[in-house]
Amino acid sequence: MNYLIKFWFALFALCVSAAAFAQADIEVNTPGVAALKQSMQARHAQLAVFYASGAVGLAADGLVALRDASAVPLSARQTVNGLVAAENQDRKALYAEIARANGHPEWEPEIRNTFAQRWIQRAQPGWWVQSGGGWARK
Amino acid sequence: MPKKPILSFFGCLLSGWLLLATPLHAMQITLSVADITASSLAARGVRVVLAQDGAADLNIAELRWTEKIWRKVHVHCAEFLLSSARMTCRRGKLDAAPDLSFEFGYNFSSQRLKLQVSAADDERLQVNADFRVQPWRADVQLRNAQGRRLAAMLPPAWPSLVQGVLNGTLRLQGDGAGVSRANADLQLADLAFADASGLHAAEKLAGTLHLEATRAGRQWDWRGALDWQGGELFWQPLYLRGGYALQASGQWDGARLQVTRAVAELAEVGKLELTALWDANKSVLLEGTLRGNNLGLKRLFADFARPFLNESLLAASELTGRGDVDWQYHNGATQALTVALRDAELTDGQKRFMLRGVNAVIPWHADATSQAGISFNEGVLWGAPIGATAWQIAMRGREFSAAEIILPVFDGKLAVQDFHLQNEGGEWQWGFSGALSPVSMQKLSVALNWPEMHGAFSGMIPKVSFRDKTLKVDGALLFHVFDGTVVVNRIELFDPFGRMPRLSGNLDMRELDLDLLTRTFSFGNIQGRIDLSVNGLELVNWQPVSFDAKLASSPGEYRKRISQKAVQNISALGGAGGAAALQRSYMRIFDNFGYSRIGLSCVLRHDVCTMDGVEGSGTGVYTIVKGGGIPAINVLGYNHRVGWQELLTRLRRVLQDNMQAVVK
Repeated sequence: MNYLIKFWFALFALCVSAAAFAQADIEVNTPGVAALKQSMQARHAQLAVFYASGAVGLAADGLVALRDASAVPLSARQTVNGLVAAENQDRKALYAEIARANGHPEWEPEIRNTFAQRWIQRAQPGWWVQSGGGWARK
Repeated sequence: MPKKPILSFFGCLLSGWLLLATPLHAMQITLSVADITASSLAARGVRVVLAQDGAADLNIAELRWTEKIWRKVHVHCAEFLLSSARMTCRRGKLDAAPDLSFEFGYNFSSQRLKLQVSAADDERLQVNADFRVQPWRADVQLRNAQGRRLAAMLPPAWPSLVQGVLNGTLRLQGDGAGVSRANADLQLADLAFADASGLHAAEKLAGTLHLEATRAGRQWDWRGALDWQGGELFWQPLYLRGGYALQASGQWDGARLQVTRAVAELAEVGKLELTALWDANKSVLLEGTLRGNNLGLKRLFADFARPFLNESLLAASELTGRGDVDWQYHNGATQALTVALRDAELTDGQKRFMLRGVNAVIPWHADATSQAGISFNEGVLWGAPIGATAWQIAMRGREFSAAEIILPVFDGKLAVQDFHLQNEGGEWQWGFSGALSPVSMQKLSVALNWPEMHGAFSGMIPKVSFRDKTLKVDGALLFHVFDGTVVVNRIELFDPFGRMPRLSGNLDMRELDLDLLTRTFSFGNIQGRIDLSVNGLELVNWQPVSFDAKLASSPGEYRKRISQKAVQNISALGGAGGAAALQRSYMRIFDNFGYSRIGLSCVLRHDVCTMDGVEGSGTGVYTIVKGGGIPAINVLGYNHRVGWQELLTRLRRVLQDNMQAVVK
């Protein structure tokens, strides 16, 4: 009987938390979100060429990853490293800031997952995206 | 007879059994040979077929050389001669490398071997070996040898050799146990390699390699010189171009590589001396030293340090000047590191900091106390100029401390007391307390691109600490500005050096001189004193997100006058409706007015400022300036809720346009 109560309670808690997260406003705009989006937008022009060549891919964890450095001339590989590092710093800060702006810093992992799916859905044809642990060309 | 591969082979061949195949008109002889083994060579299932037309085919089921194994090796000699004196193969072909043709001859009595392998584009390998002398000798000449042929011999974990051309000589001597002396003089050109991920790759490498090695028992003594003249190398995260030379010597016993002395010449950097003991099986450095004097810091930092600092404050910085380094590594950890900087300059690409004329001697020891001396001539930190200073810092392991550091800031001084920096669990923590002696507000405001202010700025700094990416101020910061006091408390700054710094705290200003304040901001003149409290202040990326701010006339008796222009500007802040509140007939006559109280509050939430006035009624019209004396004027506010951005725009317009009051 105890187990039954625990089960229903767990199910209830799960539904409540899911419902609660469903209310997260991922379009929330704060000065922090605006600054991060602006910074990412400014960097996008530089990164787009590397998305297109397959050097950089959209990872399943909501970040970008250096997927195939050989698609980039040797002299540009450090630049790609720097861009990927800076983009990932912005992305991590963005997820944390949106969670915080929603009043729930603990939602950061769910917000990150939502964004990960969104980035991958919106990826342009020919870009590389990570799914099921492997890379696939969209 | 010494056990050498070639001799073993023919020894076995002659002792093998001979089969005469029929019929006679197509006679061929097949020789099957027992396994052949030598020190590093083994062949299994060797079969030689001698054809009637003078050709011969050699089949080897499995050929093993060191760790490499080739299966089903087939060699065809179009012309094969075997006599009691010599054996010769001409126009030979190897299945595994059909583009190669070779010739070899072996004289049984003189025990001399000649081998020549050639291919298109004047590619040639020539071997002359003498197995009669002791130790035996083999000279190898390489001309335009293609590096890709070595690819199969390299360990699978290494990046693939894509291309490259080798020229030069290789001289080998040996005994029954194998090669005992090797001497190589090679020129490398157009060498390229890459691994699958592209993280370790090189293109167009060119240079020379000289190597001498002598074996005694299992141990090799070696000495080498590498001159890397051109090409580029990317070895994550390093990117290097040619211009390096390395001379090194040491020992190798098959498990450990000892570099007893190495000297690296780095272009634009200088000379580095190093030693190392490397465990090849575990791929770990056991011992190491690195020493360099008067090194050029610019390229040393850019090429070898900055690539590792991608996510740090120094990611976009440059270091120039000269310096010395002495690094001692034992038992898996750095035991001592001495760094000296001479006339160095550190500059941030994002203009957040700059230090010039840096001279430092930092003799750090893992388990001994020492003193570091650091000085610089000038610098800038987040727009604030810093004057010449010298610090003494005590170091013990990962703990650094200084009793007092004086930092000249603008025309004042920041005295930092009880500074300590330590590493706990891989995270750096630091803390200090201090005091700021008067800084001219004029200099401060100009440096920070603020409206030019007057007066002085000074204060006490209680305990400041940084841990878990959060900077905290325990107690209250006390400053003096505009002839009043500013108390800042509960300050917490999360991730101050990160992408999204977040600051929270409270601000309490008392008895600011409105005359000084309004003069500074070209707001029109107000005489009197004001208190401003800002509670629950939260800034994200230095932009306000929320606060409860309240501005009110300070208690006490003092002159209270407000100019026509100030009235107009306060009205403009209230939006279009504010102007209607002005008592226009008064405005035509008087330049300034008396008032009894000024009061304005703003509660910022979700980008909206909810405003109220002196009384704080919460609804309807509210009073911002309550009249008093003769002539008196009331300034009223009508809008309780104003968008924060709209309010900022109005304020900017008022301050920047130096708005003139227009009275109708």
